[in-house]
Amino acid sequence: MITVLRLFTLMLLAAFMAGCNSEDNVSAGGVDAWPEKPVRVIIPFGPGGLADVTMRLAGEPLGELLGERLVMENRPGAGGVAATTTMLNADADGYTLIVLTNGTTIAESLFDDLPYNITEDLVPVSAVAWFDLVLLVNPDSGYKDLQALLEARGDNLRIATINPGSTQNLSAELFKSLASNSATIIPYRTTPDVLGALLRGEVDLAIDAYTALKGAIDNNQVTPIVVTGEVRNPAMPDIPTAVEAGITEFFVTGWNALYARKGTDPAIINRLNTNIASVLATDDIRTRFAELGVEAHANTPQEMQQRFLSDIEKWRRVIEAAGIDPL
Amino acid sequence: METLSLLSMGFEQALTPEALLFCFIGVSLGTFIGVLPGIGSLTTIALCLPLTFHLEPLLGLIMLAGIFYGAQYGSSTASILLNVPGSAPAAITCLDGYPMSRQGRAGIALFITTIASFTGGSFAILLLIFFAPVLADFAISFSAADYFSIMVLALTAASTLSVGSPLKGLAMVSLGLLMGMVGTDINSGQFRYTFGIPALADGINLVALAMGLFGVAEILNNLTEGNVPQAGKEKITFRQMLPTPDDWKAFRFSCLRGSFIGSFIGMLPGTGPTIATFMAYAGEKKLSKNPEKFGHGAVEGISAPEAANNASVQAAFIPTLTLGVPGDAIMAVMLGGLLIHGITPGPQLVTTDAALFWGVVASFWIGNIILLILNLPMIGLWVKLLSIPYRFLFPAVLFLICIGVYSVNNNSTDVLLTLVFGIMGFYFNRHGFPSAPLLLGFVLGPLMEENFRRALVLSDSSLATFVDRPISAAFLAMTAVLLVFSFRRKATLTDDKAQPAP
Repeated sequence: MITVLRLFTLMLLAAFMAGCNSEDNVSAGGVDAWPEKPVRVIIPFGPGGLADVTMRLAGEPLGELLGERLVMENRPGAGGVAATTTMLNADADGYTLIVLTNGTTIAESLFDDLPYNITEDLVPVSAVAWFDLVLLVNPDSGYKDLQALLEARGDNLRIATINPGSTQNLSAELFKSLASNSATIIPYRTTPDVLGALLRGEVDLAIDAYTALKGAIDNNQVTPIVVTGEVRNPAMPDIPTAVEAGITEFFVTGWNALYARKGTDPAIINRLNTNIASVLATDDIRTRFAELGVEAHANTPQEMQQRFLSDIEKWRRVIEAAGIDPL
Repeated sequence: METLSLLSMGFEQALTPEALLFCFIGVSLGTFIGVLPGIGSLTTIALCLPLTFHLEPLLGLIMLAGIFYGAQYGSSTASILLNVPGSAPAAITCLDGYPMSRQGRAGIALFITTIASFTGGSFAILLLIFFAPVLADFAISFSAADYFSIMVLALTAASTLSVGSPLKGLAMVSLGLLMGMVGTDINSGQFRYTFGIPALADGINLVALAMGLFGVAEILNNLTEGNVPQAGKEKITFRQMLPTPDDWKAFRFSCLRGSFIGSFIGMLPGTGPTIATFMAYAGEKKLSKNPEKFGHGAVEGISAPEAANNASVQAAFIPTLTLGVPGDAIMAVMLGGLLIHGITPGPQLVTTDAALFWGVVASFWIGNIILLILNLPMIGLWVKLLSIPYRFLFPAVLFLICIGVYSVNNNSTDVLLTLVFGIMGFYFNRHGFPSAPLLLGFVLGPLMEENFRRALVLSDSSLATFVDRPISAAFLAMTAVLLVFSFRRKATLTDDKAQPAP
């Protein structure tokens, strides 16, 4: 009983400390001494999701290399706006980092008045994880490839994705504009709901991240017919890319990347970048990421910046073509 | 027979000293956070998830699951003693649990909820053991139209939730439905009623609403009226905790009905225990020969929801483990935990990882027995809580509510909202507006709207889909029967009044 009480007290303390995060001043150690205390990483999603799991997996060895722990802080909500707003209150001292995703580049065009400007307020550190989406059908439907599906369902094609404004949903919009103009996109609340819809056969096609549906794919509950990466996914070498399946210009690769406040010392960014690159190059992380269907792959801040800008442009076009009004 | 031998293998896995230890840690932690108002199992499980990365998958899952169902045991304790629910599903237990406590029957109420929890949990575990694959296929076959019709039935049954004026009850349901609309519309992605507050973009937080309306409002109420909960001076003996024969009679079938409703709702992905407990309560009141005793300490009013609560969380494992379709956020976190270990739940889990599957299932039962042993002797201790002077008790409760609400999304706006809802709830109480219908409308409204619109998209805008689908048609028929009975009953009641005895 006492143990339980103690454990409980610890939990309470932990919850409490998560609440009052260290906004305290940096000691005068300077850049060379960084880091002198744990580094906070804000994750704009709840625990258990892809961004959370990959960041926690990579965060542990990264903390060992840096000599201080990385403390993950989940701030889900409002498509990342809540997390980014929190980030703006942090100092540019390298002790607070944030995970951004390609969803952030969508938000740039989707929301009218964001309380921040990513390119002016934040700077990239490095990409962490890359992941493809997959197009899935129900095995009972009998469709072996995309062409067969499009021929059979043509104008009546029904596509299930998660909520509007998500990468999955806008990828469906992109797919619709390139392959099947009169398709109906049906939004569901969560990935399990999308899976359920496909299992019931109430939709013809589902578009979601490979990671999220890996279990269902491995169990042959659903059949992947196309991957959205530019090259085939090593986990599913038999499944063609969209280009191979006859839809040119349909590429979607999602990413998670670490960002810092603008004005953070470049030496700190550099140090983080090199350490992330070496962590992501280890066999352990590569295999653990691969098990999740994710590719571990760092890049330079410049490359990340370019990718960010080109993705903003890409999704802006999709949003305009789909006739979605900014919120 | 094969099931039994697999189950005995499961018990071998779950009875190792390590497994027992982690099961004990999980359920004890669960009970504690369950008792504390606002701090829910989602937060605790999320905090403990990283700990399990270094554990064997079976041990990790046993512990996380233990927190989940353990929390349901504790969640009614504060509802009964303080009229402050430990979690949103336990809000309904306040309605009859707290009156029991005021009648000096707190010990009996806690005893009954513990036994009801155990029965509900065991009922769903039996379903999981013997019928999981069949039930999972059945649950997943429910389409948007079916969900809508279930919600219609739930909302109709809920008309009984209000105690006083039916009009006030209706007003509160409508207000709940409206509040449920706040947030991002799932179909169009547009914000509704968010007033430019980013914290509202994902809707009003259920925990904030429940804790405000039931917890903070109750504290305000007590402070203004000087009407504080008190324990009797004498020591509670085991005898005083034992329900009377009449209590047992009321308990027996209501508990079974609650277990059934809870298991059914729990299996359906996307519903959750709050709907299960509210439906179980509404069902009991509809069935009862003396509905007027509800709200004044009816045993059925705590045993059915409590059984439903535990049955629903245990039944939620059915689609999660056998289909890989998690029913709610908590199940999704646990699924994430399994994925990290390279285990993919689904139809093949039962064969490929049989030891894990049956080990976890066996641990559920062990956990429920530990909870029973842990909770019964604690009753006296909990009742003693009431002997703490209220001026010390209420700041502690308020503090815990704040931490609990904050921890759901790490969002301070939610804490402020809790205060706002608390003040709202205080005025509702003052003017006889019941809060329970509001909470139910809030939970059901968005689900109804979402599924109604989705059903129409899927049927190319044909309303016939609601009667063409057999499941949906069955639930609509039940709703019609319920309505006819309510009106006939009402008619007979007025007839009786119209013709006074000569």
